[in-house]
Amino acid sequence: MKKTIAMVTIFAIILSLAGCGRSSNKTPVIGISQYGEHASLDNCREGFIQGLKDSGLVENEDYVIDYQNAGFDDSIATQIAQNFSAKNVALMCGIATPAAIACFAAAEDKDIPVIFSAITDPVKAKLDKGNITGTSDKLPVDAQLELIRRLQPEAKTIGILYTTSEPNSVSSIAEYQEKAPQYGFTIEALGVTQQSEVTLAADSLIAKGVDCFSNLTDNNVVGVLSSVLEKTNEAGIPVYGSEVEQVKIGCVASAGIDYYELGRQTGIMAAKILKGEATAAEMPYETISDFNYYINSVAISEMGIKVPADIAEKAIESGNQ
Amino acid sequence: MSNFLDLVVGTITQGLIYALLSYGVYITYRILDFPDLTVDGSFPLGAAVTAVLLTKGLNPYLTLPVAMAVGALAGLVTGLIHVKLKVRDLLASIITMTSLFSINLQIAGSNLAIERATDTIFTAAPTMALLGSMSLIYRKLVVSLILAVFFKLILDLYFNTQSGLLLRAVGDNTTLVTTLAKDKGSVKILGLVIANTLVALSGAVVCHEQRAFSSTMGTGQVVFGLATVIIGTTLFKNLNFVKGTTAVMIGSVLYKACIQVSISLGLPANLLKLVSSVLFLVILVLGNRRKSEVNTSA
Repeated sequence: MKKTIAMVTIFAIILSLAGCGRSSNKTPVIGISQYGEHASLDNCREGFIQGLKDSGLVENEDYVIDYQNAGFDDSIATQIAQNFSAKNVALMCGIATPAAIACFAAAEDKDIPVIFSAITDPVKAKLDKGNITGTSDKLPVDAQLELIRRLQPEAKTIGILYTTSEPNSVSSIAEYQEKAPQYGFTIEALGVTQQSEVTLAADSLIAKGVDCFSNLTDNNVVGVLSSVLEKTNEAGIPVYGSEVEQVKIGCVASAGIDYYELGRQTGIMAAKILKGEATAAEMPYETISDFNYYINSVAISEMGIKVPADIAEKAIESGNQ
Repeated sequence: MSNFLDLVVGTITQGLIYALLSYGVYITYRILDFPDLTVDGSFPLGAAVTAVLLTKGLNPYLTLPVAMAVGALAGLVTGLIHVKLKVRDLLASIITMTSLFSINLQIAGSNLAIERATDTIFTAAPTMALLGSMSLIYRKLVVSLILAVFFKLILDLYFNTQSGLLLRAVGDNTTLVTTLAKDKGSVKILGLVIANTLVALSGAVVCHEQRAFSSTMGTGQVVFGLATVIIGTTLFKNLNFVKGTTAVMIGSVLYKACIQVSISLGLPANLLKLVSSVLFLVILVLGNRRKSEVNTSA
């Protein structure tokens, strides 16, 4: 019996430790749950905090931040969200889909507003209805197509490699195919099922005579991008990346989103909710309106591409010198 | 104080939901002495099946038996690979776990979320009729408690049947099973089936609770299960009246409590796992010390 009491005591001690962390002051708390440590997601979070400041809110006066990171573990994301809910935070911010889903589930009971960022498809993640809003990191396909048109005025066909089992890739391909005719392109998409097939598929696209490649955020393709680039460089075909990291390793250019900017846009939306100017339920989610041109001048000159002056001016040099 | 109470309720709920998974690991690891990694695949399998059925509008309560049946199948496959094809236990379970990753995605299409308007076992009419006056987090607590206790009692009853006793004998004393002219292979298969049935059920309940299935949600669940089994059984080693299943249930709640403490302390994210491990260690050491005190006083 003594031991049973001891067990109960241990449990009580543990849980009262858990209670210590809660804040006692009245300043509204913003709980940020980030799915894991990742350069893009970190930028997103920093941008979010900047967005709050840019909206005229002062940290520790108008709000305090409670930042938690789930280390890519879904069940920890769940517990983080429950922690926020128990603390009655004023707002939960979920960065990346699993974190946002956990926040939305935990917020249900008290109807705490949730704001998300870095989610490709909020509709598919069922985060488009309810007391929730945020920003999507969908690829700026129009901007990318326009960039390719400006850099290669003669090009007709864009080759894209993708993995058939990645839902994000499949929906991006559909968008490319829908929008390409407006810019005078046809899309030659080639699907693979695993990473080992990617370079073979690249050969096949080169043989079909595509004028350039454009990338998605497809993990299998991006994972072996260097060996794809070897083949395309040999064939003299430029490859356009989907984000800055791909330009760094040798893609000629990219119209990619800036995750810091995405976070900042989210922070501005969050500020509106905190100030009571709008509710998460009535604000539709936003896709990022800002993107950057990233270019790799070494790769560009090797391909003999002339960059129009207005793009050269705006573009960020990202090649590894 | 209500903030704190909410935190306790939420934490215990998580512990109870995952206790179902821990029962499964208790059966394979502790009773059968079988390192079963199928769990990392059968847990999301239960969630995948549930997510699809909920989207299709099936009665939420019916999704649970369906998920359990599919989980049983996963255990059966591991068992057959091991016993009939004579593949080593660990490898057999790795094969099933790996193929389940693809199968889960095939079932669900991709990561799948369920709309808030869709009824779950926590919000459907029969639950509301019984517990409608409670807020959602308390309903979640009560429903999880009913599930965790119900399956604990079923298991306790089962362990005392002839089949249950054989199951325990296979892990402890295989010679005895052979002497009794029983096939230890089929007993092992049965154990794996029961274990993965419970694991898939746990995945299904998590899917109801989170309204989502993700292909990676199974990662690390075996390790979680092992930790809870060890915490639970170590703590209650000398208390004979505490059943193994009860110990494991408490172990699961304690594990989730440790994680919640780490989160609440507001430590840097990278230290979260480290702090949780230190807390486990403290629990284990306290448990062991108590054991030796008893031994000296006896």
